[in-house]
Amino acid sequence: MSHSISLKDAEQRVFQTATNDGTWDILLGCFFLMFAIAPLLSASLGDFWSSAVFLPFWGAAYVALRLIRKHVVRPRIGSVRFGKSRRAVLSRFNVILLVLNLLTFVLGLFAAAYASRIPGQVMGFALGLILLGGFSFAAFYLGISRLYVYGLLTGLGPPIGEWLWTRGLVSHHGYPLMFGFISGTMIFVGLALLLRLIAQYPASDDDQPLESM
Amino acid sequence: MVALKNGAETHPLVDLDQVIHAPARLMVLTYLYVVDNADYIFLKNMTGLTWGNLATHLGKLEQSGYIEIKKEFKGKKPHTTIFMTERGRSAFQDYKRSMQQVLNDLPD
Repeated sequence: MSHSISLKDAEQRVFQTATNDGTWDILLGCFFLMFAIAPLLSASLGDFWSSAVFLPFWGAAYVALRLIRKHVVRPRIGSVRFGKSRRAVLSRFNVILLVLNLLTFVLGLFAAAYASRIPGQVMGFALGLILLGGFSFAAFYLGISRLYVYGLLTGLGPPIGEWLWTRGLVSHHGYPLMFGFISGTMIFVGLALLLRLIAQYPASDDDQPLESM
Repeated sequence: MVALKNGAETHPLVDLDQVIHAPARLMVLTYLYVVDNADYIFLKNMTGLTWGNLATHLGKLEQSGYIEIKKEFKGKKPHTTIFMTERGRSAFQDYKRSMQQVLNDLPD
């Protein structure tokens, strides 16, 4: 297979090879699973604990995926330290993501305080818009096209769920159904990428051929 | 262009760095140019070269001073990291300029 030989494309290919192992997709899926399950738990655990119980789950998922990266992914695709320009892009991306998260957190507090006065459709639309914007920005900035699909799914999920709920077709504003589908899709895509990587690249402990030079 | 003793000029292609000009080594250097460093397995996967082939080309690049190979142990496993040296970066930039000049001067 031939590839473009421009330096920009080579750099993008390095970045995608090093990050396209599916572990981030699985972690994102685990995160969005909270939106699907927390509403079902809120009746028994309350609003706070129904979400808080996911913190140890996310922690466990993060540690498990780090171990998978170390023991499964790295022996297969190797490791690379990105160049200065990519590291600068990632630093800027992290700062922008942090600002977006803080903004979303403040909006969330505002929405919680005025929940009774804001119609459910507006809340669903606003959440969808924020998620669509965040994923689209990440997709554009990092050059990972499937994040546009995640943006569309998470952007359309809340308003569609709200629409189904107003017609009495689903419970809990449609969150369990819509976010169950979204997180399931992310985890499925992540697992597919990880399994493809395992099949495509054999594990290599042999890092000694340079002895012959 | 390089002037010959009889006054004639050679083609700029003659000036191209032959260590870099080999396709496999050019591929290796292209990837090393855009990263800080990479390990042996990563380079092998990116270039599609075999272990032996990659080792031979890396050896030539190391002899020319264009790359530096660092061997260490991570736990009980050997790990090889490859860096592009400043000399390698400079030579690669010169090669890039020369190639651009050659290709730009070609008629359509």
